[in-house]
Amino acid sequence: MNIFVIGLSHHSAPVELRERFAFAEAKIPEALKSLRESGIAAEAVILSTCNRVEIYAATPLEPARAFAELKKYLARWGEILSSPNQNTTKSGLEGLSPHPNGLGDTLYTLAEPQSLHHLFKVACGMDSMVLGETEILGQLKQAYALAHHHGHTGARLNKAFQRAFHVAKHIRTETNIQRGSVSVASVAVELAEKIFSSLGDREVLVIGAGETSEKTARALLSRGARSIIVANRSHDRAVALAKEFGGRAVQFDDWAGEFQKIDIAISSTSAPHHILDRAKLELLMKARQQRPLLLIDIAVPRDIDPEVNFLENVYLYNIDDLQAIADDYLKQRKEEIARCEAIIAEKVKGLLETRSPMSLLIDFPPVPSLNKS
Amino acid sequence: MSTVYSVFLWRKGFRKDDHVNYLLLLVAFALHTVAMFQRGFSFNQCPVNNLYEATTFIAWALVAAYLVVGLLPRLRFLGAFASPVLFAIGVFALMPALDPPRGPQPEFSGALTSLHAAMILLAYGAFGLGAAAAGMFLTQQHDLKFHKLRAVLSLMPPIQRLEIIASRLVLAGLVLFTIGLDAGGRLPRPEHTAYWTDPKVVWSIFMWLVYLALLVLRRFFRQSSRRFAIGVIAAFAFLLLTFWGTNLLSTLHHP
Repeated sequence: MNIFVIGLSHHSAPVELRERFAFAEAKIPEALKSLRESGIAAEAVILSTCNRVEIYAATPLEPARAFAELKKYLARWGEILSSPNQNTTKSGLEGLSPHPNGLGDTLYTLAEPQSLHHLFKVACGMDSMVLGETEILGQLKQAYALAHHHGHTGARLNKAFQRAFHVAKHIRTETNIQRGSVSVASVAVELAEKIFSSLGDREVLVIGAGETSEKTARALLSRGARSIIVANRSHDRAVALAKEFGGRAVQFDDWAGEFQKIDIAISSTSAPHHILDRAKLELLMKARQQRPLLLIDIAVPRDIDPEVNFLENVYLYNIDDLQAIADDYLKQRKEEIARCEAIIAEKVKGLLETRSPMSLLIDFPPVPSLNKS
Repeated sequence: MSTVYSVFLWRKGFRKDDHVNYLLLLVAFALHTVAMFQRGFSFNQCPVNNLYEATTFIAWALVAAYLVVGLLPRLRFLGAFASPVLFAIGVFALMPALDPPRGPQPEFSGALTSLHAAMILLAYGAFGLGAAAAGMFLTQQHDLKFHKLRAVLSLMPPIQRLEIIASRLVLAGLVLFTIGLDAGGRLPRPEHTAYWTDPKVVWSIFMWLVYLALLVLRRFFRQSSRRFAIGVIAAFAFLLLTFWGTNLLSTLHHP
C-alpha cells in the first residue's frame, strides 16, 4: 500500500479554483468517510488551507487507477462544495467544469517517493507562498489530528505524518529556512525585540494611520506591547484605529508630547518634509531621560531626518532599511533550499527503508517540484 | 581552542547557539580546577601566592562566572567575548618571572589572606565578564545603529538586557572587591611598611573608585549606555595592564 497525493495549490491554481475545492473543517470527517467507503483509499488525510487543498491517501490501488479515482472524487466534491446550497463563494467559477478533465493542469498527482517528499516539504513550509513559513505545519498537524481522531488514518499515514512533523522540527533547528522575518511589520517587531528587554511594558506611538504602520502596530501588539497611541490628521480615523487596538488617540499636533512615555514610534504621514529632526528629538530625548527609542519611518517622503540616528540611544529604520532586511532574510532562506532538499531526501529514504529491505535498492531520482497531471 | 572558535562565531554573526564554546570552557575549567587543587595540595596552601597564581586565578574566576551566567542560552555568547581575554591572560601568566621558585616560607598565609586574595581575584573575574557583556552590547548596538542584518540574525540578547547584565556584573565585582579590600585592611602589616602610600593599595582604591563612579554615573546621572559600556571595557583593560606592574612595585605584596 503506497501513499499518494492529489491536490491543487497556489503554485498550480488561482484562488477562484482553490476556493471551489476548499473543504470546510466541519465537512472533512464526512469527506474522509466517503473516500474510504468508496474503496479508493484505506487511509486518508485532507489538508485544506487558503493556499492548498490536498488529499493524502494510502491505497492498495495501482497509481494510474488511484489517481483517476481520486480526481473523480475531488471533482465530485468540488461540484458539491460549489453548489448554491453550500453557501460557497461562486465568483469566478463560471466556465470551470467539475469534471476532472476540466481541471487541466491545475491538479497535481504524486506517487511515492515524491508524495512523501512533497508531504515533508509542505510540513517544512518549503512549498508555501512565503518560503519557510511555519503556519502550514500547524495546519498540517490539525488536518492529521482531525483524520486520526475520526479513525481515518492507519499505520502508513500515521508513520508518514509523524515523520513529517519530526523532519519539520529537524529542519527548523538545523537550517535557516525558517529564520527571520520576511515582512516589513515582522522585521520591525524583531528589531524591537533586539533593543528592548521585553515588549511587555512598551508603549507604541503611531503617527499617521497608514496600512503598513497599522500592520506594524498590530504585530507589536500581538507580541505583547502594552499600548498603542494613535495620532492622525483625521482624528476620527485615529480614534477608530485606537479603539481597534485598545489604545488611545491624540490630536495630530500633540504627538511630540507623547515622546516622554513611548518607546517605539511608527511614522507614516503624507507630510512633504521631515516632521522630526535632530534638534527636536534631542530635546525630546532629554525629556525621556535618554531611554532607548526605536523609530520606524515608513513614510515616503521620509518623516524623520536620518540625522537623528546619530543621537545616543536612538535607532532609526526607514522603509528601505526594513525591506532590505526582509529581502536578505528571504535570500537567506532561498540559500537554504538545497540543504533542506538534501535532508528531506535522506529522511524520505530513511522512512522507506524502514518499510522494506528491498527499498534499500531504490535510487532516488531528482525530485521535481510538482508533477502536474 | 575556544578563542579560535570565538573567531568563527564572530564571523558567523552569532547565529548558532554557543554550546560548543560553553563546553570547551567547561572542560578547560575542569582541567584548570584539577591543576589548581594539585598545586594547592603540593604547596599545602591556597594557590594564590604569586603573580602567576593570581593571574590564572583571575582567568579561573572569569570562567566560573561565565559558566554560571552561560546557563542561560542567550548569554552563552559572552564566552566568545571572554575567550580572547582569557587567552591573553593565559599567555601572560606563562611569563617565567611571574612564577619564581618557591622559598622555604610561603609569601602569604592565613585564612584572612586567602579571603583577601580570593575575593579580589573573583572581583576581577566579575569585572572581566562585565567587560565581555559590555563588548557584546557595543557590538550589537553598532549593528543596530548601522542596520546590519546580523543585528537581527544573531542570537544575542537585546541590548537593554546586555546593559543590565554588564552593570550587575560590575556591581557584583564591586561588592567582592570591597570585601577583599576590607579583608586586606585587616591583615597584620609588616613593620616599616607604609600602607596608604603603597602603590598596590593606592591602585586598588583607585580601581574601586573607578568602578563605583561608573555605577553611580549610570544610576544617578543617566550616563548613556554606550559610555557606560566603553567605561567598563576601558576600566578592565586598565586593570589588566596595570595589575602586574603595581604588584611588582608594592612592598606589601612583593616584599
